[in-house]
Amino acid sequence: MIDRVKQKINELLSGGSVKGVVALANANGHVAPCLFQKGDDLQHLSLGDRETSGDARYPLNKVLTTIARQYPDEVFGVLVRGCDERGLHILFRLNQLAADKVVPIGISCPETLALQCECKKPWPDEMTAGEKSQGVAQKRVEAAEGLDLKERFSFWTEQFSKCIKCYGCRDICPMCFCKECSLECEDLVSKGDLPVDIPVFHLTRAMHMADRCIDCGLCEEACPADIPLRLLYKKTSKIMNTEFGFTSGMNKNEISPLSMMGPAPKK
Amino acid sequence: MDYRNTLTTCTYCGCGCNFFLESLDGRLTGTIPCKTSPVNEGKLCIKGWNVHQFVQSEKRLTKPLMRKNGELVEVSWDEALDFAASGLKAVKEGTGPDAVGFLASAKVTNEENYLMQKFARAGVGTNNIDHCARL
Amino acid sequence: MSELEDADTIFIIGSNTATSHPLVATRIFRAIEKGARVLVADPRKNQIAAFAHLYVRHRPGTDVALLNGMMKVILDQGLEDKAFIADNTEEFEGFKNLIHAVSLDEVSGITGVSVEDIQTLAETYAKADKASIVYCMGITQHTNGVNNVKSLANLAMLTGNIGKYATGVNPLRGQNNVQGACDMGGLPNVYTGYQPVTLGAANKKFAEAWGVSELPSKIGLTIPEMLHGIEKGEVKALWIMGENPVVSDPDANHVVKALEKLELLIVQDIFLTPTARLAHLVLPGVSFAEKDGTFSNTERRVTRVRKAVAPVGDSRQDWQIIQDISSRFGYKMEYDSPETIFKEIASLTPSYGGMTYERLEGPGLQWPCPSPEHPGTPFLHKDGKFTRGKGLFHAIGYKPPAELTDEEYPFCMTTGRVYAHYHTGTMTRNSKSLDFEVPEGFLEMNPADAEALDLCDGHRVRMASRRGEIETRIMITERVEKGVVFMPFHFEESNVNKLTNPAYDPIAKIPEFKVCAVKLEKVS
Ligand code: SF4
Ligand code: SF4
Ligand code: SF4
Ligand code: SF4
Repeated sequence: MIDRVKQKINELLSGGSVKGVVALANANGHVAPCLFQKGDDLQHLSLGDRETSGDARYPLNKVLTTIARQYPDEVFGVLVRGCDERGLHILFRLNQLAADKVVPIGISCPETLALQCECKKPWPDEMTAGEKSQGVAQKRVEAAEGLDLKERFSFWTEQFSKCIKCYGCRDICPMCFCKECSLECEDLVSKGDLPVDIPVFHLTRAMHMADRCIDCGLCEEACPADIPLRLLYKKTSKIMNTEFGFTSGMNKNEISPLSMMGPAPKK
Repeated sequence: MDYRNTLTTCTYCGCGCNFFLESLDGRLTGTIPCKTSPVNEGKLCIKGWNVHQFVQSEKRLTKPLMRKNGELVEVSWDEALDFAASGLKAVKEGTGPDAVGFLASAKVTNEENYLMQKFARAGVGTNNIDHCARL
Repeated sequence: MSELEDADTIFIIGSNTATSHPLVATRIFRAIEKGARVLVADPRKNQIAAFAHLYVRHRPGTDVALLNGMMKVILDQGLEDKAFIADNTEEFEGFKNLIHAVSLDEVSGITGVSVEDIQTLAETYAKADKASIVYCMGITQHTNGVNNVKSLANLAMLTGNIGKYATGVNPLRGQNNVQGACDMGGLPNVYTGYQPVTLGAANKKFAEAWGVSELPSKIGLTIPEMLHGIEKGEVKALWIMGENPVVSDPDANHVVKALEKLELLIVQDIFLTPTARLAHLVLPGVSFAEKDGTFSNTERRVTRVRKAVAPVGDSRQDWQIIQDISSRFGYKMEYDSPETIFKEIASLTPSYGGMTYERLEGPGLQWPCPSPEHPGTPFLHKDGKFTRGKGLFHAIGYKPPAELTDEEYPFCMTTGRVYAHYHTGTMTRNSKSLDFEVPEGFLEMNPADAEALDLCDGHRVRMASRRGEIETRIMITERVEKGVVFMPFHFEESNVNKLTNPAYDPIAKIPEFKVCAVKLEKVS
């Protein structure tokens, strides 16, 4: 698969159709986000699989956003998995990136990763390499829904109490880009103290991400308190799906129901 | 266009988390925790996540300062280094090596701490070197 | 650190882990998830205490009393590990006699912890299969800090919880490269790798390597001793690199007076700190993001620091500054990079002997790593073995802190950190996100005390000790007990170290930051 990706990156760079490609590279015994430009050695290219598949994934769309902000007229390639492609759809719609300035290089995820992510669609529509594996059912959410209200309440209260307010869930998130972050709004969340306001801090973020979270799971992996954040956001996204038939990023041109006024559209 | 991620170690606490300092054209733009580091496994605390912010602060010292007529004024490196060397020499020769003290630091690298204690011991000739680890 | 995840009981004493060592807290939370029991003893109820099987709030400075009480329970109930004691330790008898004389009722009176809680602490810890102890500055920053640490070692040895996987007594280092500064000989009594300056062989080895005919073999001065030396006119020049003692050291007014007495004060730093403002010469070094080198973390892991951006302005590499001054002073240094310096370190330091920059790629190496093939040492003291033969029990009686409250100074003040700041705030307070989180200092106070003083949340108070006074805003919270107040030490404009007591531990020379007597007054 990696050879196919290298070939594609080479084509893009040498053909001059992109200024650079945002992907991953092996360096210093680790894997890091990297911008490949014309003439760079692709030997160090990595797809983010080290010991297990996808264990060295990074928010490449976020990296791309940082670079594109500085170079708005250039075109860039970016390595995307299914979730990242969903992310691009939303970033285009919310004007964080320009669709005509981005060339996605899509790769599919293997079954192991799809199972671990409980991913609905572990492949991008525009696929450069790999084969589609099955979408996976949301068992974690179902299990959590199986708890009675009291158990659920104490489960989440206990989980949230571990939070050390690192803001890592926000800082790693490829879909977080607000200039004024609602987590820093003192009318919602008080600052300067630990533990954070429970459950306001975490639910504020869950609400805020309801039509944006593309379920990449990076937040949960970055949480030093091991809070099952992805589960929380999966549940939020399930509500969006049942109530509005909306799954964020799944459909390229779909507009978020939360950005429309008036009653919910008929199912 | 120069976008880089430089792998390094946190300067704040003894956990020693590893992360990438993200820079674009020589400006630090962010911190990304290293997921494959056994120390922090892709996680950081609030200090680590924001560690890039102080580095290029306006308030950084950019020139040597020397006290002249009671005021700290900018001087050249040459003047500063000569002043330091001759000042230390004068104290050593006037009162003895043990009249000089050194404070190394838990905030600088091993190499720099090593060099300072080497200078204290082999250069000046005193074991008066300590650091703020006790604090 | 990951070892902690597998402990089945973790006793945390004098460490606000979630705030000061967040990534260690991660491991503790994981252990809890796996079913471990956590015991927390701290004068201030910290975040992890909420997850504890038992949290006890002992009075500041009464750690030894509490630990002796626990050990009394263990001996009374026969919960000690007799085989381990017989095989691996010495001087048990003297220790046992001291503990036998301890009265639990007295301990309870001293510490403010009920006899029942002391029993639960002791039983839970002693009955665990793999019990780890975690401590931090809440244990060491006392006039009897060394005794506190020895008492923890007693407790671990008594129950055989040492020298095995997921057990032991684990100190959490305060600052990032404390380990490295110590490893590198930034101490008055040792060269790199703890080779004593007084030892003929080490002394000779270093003299030869450094190309000098002899090296001083008299142990040098510690920081408090240097300050004292300045006052007596014996120390006349001081070169401070990257430290800010005016904010970080106890009895700040006294530190300022001492520094002002110096004939030559050189401060090398990246910001104009309150200490730098007193200097005759300020040398702009560079931050960690602008330099190459290595740090050693709290688990003895050495990892690389790499230059990410060019230094600001005319600032210079710290190693180059030292090299240039040394050469001009008359002791020539000619390194071309930090890597050359590291090679020299490895050649002179057995525990770093097998390390090279190349080998430090990836996860780094934990010392001891004596040879090029050696994989490094993740766990010290394997198989119940101690580095120097057998473990020694120490009979340690309780001694009260150096300064007690009285009618004039009725409150007991203790100091610590907040999650968004580090040390003297030099770096964190220049970071906009961190400054946003916690922009100013504050004093935590129990609601009952606040009421008695007619104070509401956010009111300002004047707080004075025998050494100085400051003003600050108060935060009312039950985290501290009646009669105890807590203040973080990161803020130079409300520098709590103007009040703290410089009395220090006779062996470790660590000052008593954690206990001092103060009085409070409302500012109208
Ligand atoms: S969520 Fe996981 S499985 Fe799905 S596309 Fe992303 S990385 Fe692949
Ligand atoms: S899973 Fe987490 S990191 Fe990924 S988009 Fe959703 S909130 Fe952001
Ligand atoms: S990543 Fe986890 S600990 Fe950090 S702020 Fe988010 S929920 Fe809290
Ligand atoms: S990121 Fe936080 S926990 Fe990690 S080393 Fe830095 S200060 Fe310590």
